[in-house]
Amino acid sequence: MKTKTLSVLLLMTTFIVAVSFTFSKQQPKPWNVPEKNAKMANPVKADAASLNAGKASWSKNCASCHGKMGHGDGSKAAKLTTHPGDFSTATTQAQSDGSLFYKISEGRDDMPAFKKKISDEDEIWSLVNYMRTFKK
Amino acid sequence: MKAHTTLYRGSHKAALVLFCLLGCLNFLNAQDSTAVKEEATAAPAAPKKSKPVPNTFENIWLLDNQSVMVPMKGSFQLDFMHRFGTIDGGYQSLFGLFGGINIRIGGNYVPRENLLIGLSLTEYNLTWEGYVKYAGLKQTKDDRIPVSVTYYGDMAVDTRSDPTGGLYAHGSDRLMFFNQILIARKFGDRFSIQVAPSLTHVNVVQGYYPGDTTADGKSVLGKEMKHDHFAIAFSGKVKLNNTLNLLLNYDQPITKHLTNNPNPNLSAGLEINTTGHTFQVLVGNYRYITPSRNNYYNNNDYKSGQWLIGFNMTRLWNW
Repeated sequence: MKTKTLSVLLLMTTFIVAVSFTFSKQQPKPWNVPEKNAKMANPVKADAASLNAGKASWSKNCASCHGKMGHGDGSKAAKLTTHPGDFSTATTQAQSDGSLFYKISEGRDDMPAFKKKISDEDEIWSLVNYMRTFKK
Repeated sequence: MKAHTTLYRGSHKAALVLFCLLGCLNFLNAQDSTAVKEEATAAPAAPKKSKPVPNTFENIWLLDNQSVMVPMKGSFQLDFMHRFGTIDGGYQSLFGLFGGINIRIGGNYVPRENLLIGLSLTEYNLTWEGYVKYAGLKQTKDDRIPVSVTYYGDMAVDTRSDPTGGLYAHGSDRLMFFNQILIARKFGDRFSIQVAPSLTHVNVVQGYYPGDTTADGKSVLGKEMKHDHFAIAFSGKVKLNNTLNLLLNYDQPITKHLTNNPNPNLSAGLEINTTGHTFQVLVGNYRYITPSRNNYYNNNDYKSGQWLIGFNMTRLWNW
């Protein structure tokens, strides 16, 4: 192959590889939770009724993006700009119940504000209880 | 008895009075006494507010009826509803899928808590509907309030072209009104039941000359049907799993007319819910979608196998 053709091909390949990294999914940026919200105690006991309610709500509202077991592998996950996260890891499980409640309620970017969809706060607290079952 | 095509007009006061009375429901429930006693004793602690039971039903639609549900404030919902022809057409109409369709497109908005307003257009008779729904009472978790009660009011207008006046002598003849009280209770996690009495009013009914005359020799005009029609609906939801519900419904006419009495409706369907969408696939007898027309004019008879397939699709946005 002529040197000129090879050089052009090499340049194109380098360009394509470099550009592909700019379209890869963004990792979640830091999400600061106000202190008073982070310190809120979960008023709903993590009993069977709460876990059942949380599981039902997870299946309907969350699983399509976050996956059935919270690994970030839902059917819609590939279309999201931001990776939905793996909730089984310490990064998520180390957060307080109040922090998780805040993030579910307020949302950001791809994540809807579920306080507008779920009228019962106890249901959101039950979602938090259910998310604790993802822990490895 | 001579048949005659003369149309007979009526008025609509009862439904307006009912609407005003029911509009007071929430105020009666929520009012606090404004009389304050000057006492030296410490004020008692404010009673803990009872929380409403969530998800008695998961959509405003329950097959052909409304449910007690009103979405959260700021919600907008788009409805697509489709009814096919009756299955007794057999293969020639692919069991109704290729014949006798009816379609409705509608939009609903919740401008304030518990209040829904909506507008829709149905293919049958080019019927526009404006409707309002108010959730006056909600069942609470501590059973202080044992049932949810919602009012639904619907005005329908036939907008078909009538250049010769052969269909309607007057503009107001095109109007039909539907008022319904929806009363529901959730039992445990899996079962919900709803009872919904209704009143349909039609502004114009078919007249006929029975052959009687007055003292001065004028022919008496009779009515084939009454202007007002009472009915009652019984509905239920059974939760099969976290995303799938079984819906059941039965509509029973109560008012007896001289002729053309409407048939009851028996329907069942499956409902799939996601965070933004609801899909209901049903088998039933009602084909008109417009509730006043369904209750007043249904001539599909489940005893004769006149079933049809239909679906409701809704999409909900929250702002």
